[in-house]
Amino acid sequence: MKRLGEVLTLAGLTGAGLTLWLGFTWAPSVTIEAFESPEAQKIFYWHVPSAWAAMLSFSLLFIGSTMWFFKRNQWAWRLHVASSEAGLATGLMCVVSGTIWGAAEWGIPWDWTDIRLNTFAMLTLLSLFLVLGRRSQPDGIETRDTFSTFGMYGFLLVPLTYFATRIWQIRHPGPVVGTSEGSLNSDMGLVLLIGAISFTILIIGHIISGMRLAHLELRFEDLTSKYEELI
Amino acid sequence: MSGQIYLAIAYLAMISGLAIWTWTVLSRSNSLEGRIEALEQSIRHGEE
Repeated sequence: MKRLGEVLTLAGLTGAGLTLWLGFTWAPSVTIEAFESPEAQKIFYWHVPSAWAAMLSFSLLFIGSTMWFFKRNQWAWRLHVASSEAGLATGLMCVVSGTIWGAAEWGIPWDWTDIRLNTFAMLTLLSLFLVLGRRSQPDGIETRDTFSTFGMYGFLLVPLTYFATRIWQIRHPGPVVGTSEGSLNSDMGLVLLIGAISFTILIIGHIISGMRLAHLELRFEDLTSKYEELI
Repeated sequence: MSGQIYLAIAYLAMISGLAIWTWTVLSRSNSLEGRIEALEQSIRHGEE
């Protein structure tokens, strides 16, 4: 399991690097008529896969939180810990790349009236709260239940974020893949697909490694207590 | 600076951030493994 997590993480990281390279050198550019800042559009090869990986992490966070809360499974708590950290990392990657693109294309990095932007930011802040909150609290049933509850209810933001641009399209672009209105060039679509697969492998590898790390941290705490009793 | 250079800097910063995060998780695991092994040895000696 140790090696699996490491291998998947490194394979995903290599794929993410390949995606950026293809996006930079091979994928066609958009025209100045369609975009204010055609060069900045290429950040999309990072932004969309990281948003996908974040949604995957938040879904796994929901599964981990629910299974801990109702079934008290130890693996579920480790999944909660690993997926909240993965959600924070991928959420931040998506928010940062989005603000870079927004600054270049819209002239402003953020729009407080856009539903998609704000619900996604709330999801990222939720994972920040879970990661920092857990580190500042002693581990125990009550602490785990509290954070699991946030992980379960916070999941409501995932479908809301997904459908936000379909219901209230304010500033964030609508879907360009898998819709009748989509007009994504096939080469662009291929690079985006490589990116989505790479980020999926990367995030699964990170979550496996993160679950193992959570297991080691708990084991270390147990052994430290045992050692202190002995001396 | 041209848009291409800005894009390359953003790309490098993002992939570096991702690599640092990966390295942090893997090195924390390896370091904890070593400390757990040392603690287990100490506990075994203490019990003997």
